[in-house]
Amino acid sequence: MRVEQALRLLPNLEALMPLRGLLLSSARPDARVQWGSGGPYLTVGKRDVEPGELARSMGSVLTVVAEHVAALFAAYVEALERQERNDAPGAVTALVSAGRLEEKVGRLSQAQAWYEVALALAETLQDRRPEVETLLAIGHVCLALGNYAEGARHYQRALVLSEAEFNQSGAVDASVGLGTAAFERAEWPGARAWYSRALRLTEAGTDRLRLGVIEHRLGLLDRRQGDLAAAGDHLRRARECFEALNGEATLEMARVLDAQGELDAAMGRPGPAAGAFREALAWVRRDKHDPELDVTIRLHLAELLLETGRWLEADEEMRRAEQLAITSNQTRGLVRIYTLLGTLRGRQGDETGFVFFEQAIALCRVLEGPLLEDARVYHAYGLFRQVCGGPDEARAYLERARGIFRSLGMDAEVERLEAALRNSHDVNTSAAGAG
Amino acid sequence: MTRPTQHPSAGVARPATDAVRVLAVGGESGPGPLQGLRQWAADLAIELEWAADLPRATRLLAGGRWDLVLAVLGERSDEELAWWVDALRGAPGGPRLIALADRPSMGMALRAEKLGVLDVLALPLKREALANAVARVRSATTEVALPLPAVDGDVDAQGHYALVGQSPAMLEVYKLMARVAHSTATVLILGESGTGKEVVARTVHKHGPAAGPFVAVNCAAIPENLLESELFGHEKGAFTGAVARKIGRFEQAGGGTLFLDEIADMSLSLQAKILRAVQEREIERVGGGDSIPVTVRLIAATNRDLQEAIAQGRFREDLYYRLAVVTIQLPRLIDRGDDLIQLVAHFARQFGERYGKRIDAVSDRALELLRNHQWVGNVRELRNVIERAAIVASDGTLRSEHLTDELRAEEPGVPERSTAALPTLAEAEARHIARVLQHTGGQIGAAADILGIHRNTLTRKMKEYGL
Repeated sequence: MRVEQALRLLPNLEALMPLRGLLLSSARPDARVQWGSGGPYLTVGKRDVEPGELARSMGSVLTVVAEHVAALFAAYVEALERQERNDAPGAVTALVSAGRLEEKVGRLSQAQAWYEVALALAETLQDRRPEVETLLAIGHVCLALGNYAEGARHYQRALVLSEAEFNQSGAVDASVGLGTAAFERAEWPGARAWYSRALRLTEAGTDRLRLGVIEHRLGLLDRRQGDLAAAGDHLRRARECFEALNGEATLEMARVLDAQGELDAAMGRPGPAAGAFREALAWVRRDKHDPELDVTIRLHLAELLLETGRWLEADEEMRRAEQLAITSNQTRGLVRIYTLLGTLRGRQGDETGFVFFEQAIALCRVLEGPLLEDARVYHAYGLFRQVCGGPDEARAYLERARGIFRSLGMDAEVERLEAALRNSHDVNTSAAGAG
Repeated sequence: MTRPTQHPSAGVARPATDAVRVLAVGGESGPGPLQGLRQWAADLAIELEWAADLPRATRLLAGGRWDLVLAVLGERSDEELAWWVDALRGAPGGPRLIALADRPSMGMALRAEKLGVLDVLALPLKREALANAVARVRSATTEVALPLPAVDGDVDAQGHYALVGQSPAMLEVYKLMARVAHSTATVLILGESGTGKEVVARTVHKHGPAAGPFVAVNCAAIPENLLESELFGHEKGAFTGAVARKIGRFEQAGGGTLFLDEIADMSLSLQAKILRAVQEREIERVGGGDSIPVTVRLIAATNRDLQEAIAQGRFREDLYYRLAVVTIQLPRLIDRGDDLIQLVAHFARQFGERYGKRIDAVSDRALELLRNHQWVGNVRELRNVIERAAIVASDGTLRSEHLTDELRAEEPGVPERSTAALPTLAEAEARHIARVLQHTGGQIGAAADILGIHRNTLTRKMKEYGL
């Protein structure tokens, strides 16, 4: 049975989310379809799922779910016990740990719910450190959910409290969070100010991990602002910081190499860019494998191949990312992968590429993830429709994306959409004129 | 019959006595499990370098040409194998991988073989095992270039599509196409995946009387819930996402040909609507009440057995007879004899042009690999293989190192992993089970049915062999 058919029989209930994950991750492509004319358009929805195999795998999934729920229950019970023993800071820590467990399995809204309960308790305490810890956690999850303004508010409060308490690491983390909230909204001067502040606070100490993270963020900022040489310097310093940690920062190293790859790509150096991405993948693989990061790096590599016209290799890289995303239950990664596969087909002038955008939209609906993801899919779909027929549909998708970006306060993205819509209007007008 | 002849200036990749460049990736703690490798280097004429970890290995791989990579696998050997195969793809020199593991299981060896890994060796590494592997790498580097034949100028090209080949099986197809092209009869094209059904459909359209466009719809690619609106169109607001009126493919193909590829993947309800469109020559847009007349020639294709689908109630018999007015059966690539070399020449020229290269030869070893491959994906698979080879080829010759790992894994003369000339019963059984599992896409129930054993027995054997 096809996954798309199987999903229609599964109600959209939170309790069934692990089953949905299992369904997707156990899907396999039919070998005949792979080499058939539909092969290039194969998505997770067109894969096959065998009920017997689902039944066999259910036990291990239920064990993982039971362990997760048991850990949440235990965290909650610990919070109660701490509270009974008048150890409210301990109760906050227990609640925050439950939120981190939720975050670890990608349940961001649920994580936020735990953090908010923890925050309500932390706000009643004399000791402000638990509140800072909780605010930083909420800020982080808000950014992951694309709620940048809300995230910034939490980080701002964390910063004020940290400074009042002379909590330097808290102040650094809050400044970095504020910088990232500004960065994501393309508020470049604000982002620079916050990162620079974090850098000043860190340079006094010997925390190479935090220093590396800030250098990395500054590198990303410089690249976005077009100062590629400065970006290179920051990324080099970030790498030096992480290298000095002797293998303690493998994923950070992977992230910084990924950024280096993107920088090299922006500088028109596809060879070094591909080398940096490959090395980043090696760091991800080195000890604690992070499938989400692995998928991200592969997508950046695929984008590089796409931009340099190496479509076959781009397609292969995206398919490897897809396989990884499916087997490691990175369903959100699939949304990005299908969006990029659709973009690739658009470049090839292949109208049937719309199936990837439709699959991405279907996944967004199922996942109910950050609105930002939906906006990015609609944006790319609109651009695809501009090239591959359907100017009315193009306009509709671009307007939908613009509406979401506007609701998220992402002015720079709104401006990009306005430009795309003007372009769409010009094309329509000239087409009408020609007709 | 077209046979390539030896090129007068055929290049030998390099003398067989040249040093083989080996990169050993020994883990964080240094050469540990590969003790002895350094002392064998001179004797085996290998140029050896160490990389302590994966990131360093990646840097070294990107920085120069390597012939062989020796990688020690850890606990997650399957994942690591896949990672290495991926990391070596496209690396300069096309290095081969030898995976080293403490106690490699039979399943691991089979999976490695499928991925194109040169060999899986047990630790501690033995000199003789390494010497054998190096000898295989060395022999593979001596390849003779054979010129590709000129592809006939009268190839029936359709943009990216072309009918290439003069095999008897294809000549029969051409004859049938010629007979049917000048009519407006509905045509059903049958054939395995990748045999060129769309190319045939385009050619029939091109030589037919219809002046309108050729419109292709891939029924297997489009989500079920969207296929109806794709075919018949929809009115604005007909459903969520119907942001504007859409003209369907039936209308787009007015006065021309509508090609419905993979028609067996269509739901029964949609089959009924197609039947109505074919019989009544009119359609209705989704969400629209008006009947719209359409005049199209219909060509359908599938890689499935429609008679079986009818017997199982998955395909409408009345639609089948409407479609199968004329049936064209396309041959598999392995049944097309020397068409293979013609197709290699055609694709080499096509992709050479695309990637700015002049490719006019194929090495003897590469050709042997191409001839020995099973081509489950037929011409489409061959096309992919040649495109990939054209991308990585550094001169005008396609060599074995440019072919995919899957093809290189089928190198003739690869010795069995067992020291005995013939496999043991267990090895043969493990191989067969692995092959059947591959065929069923890993579905244990279906594999057990094919093997004629109980599912539990199969599960036990899979566990036993590490499959």
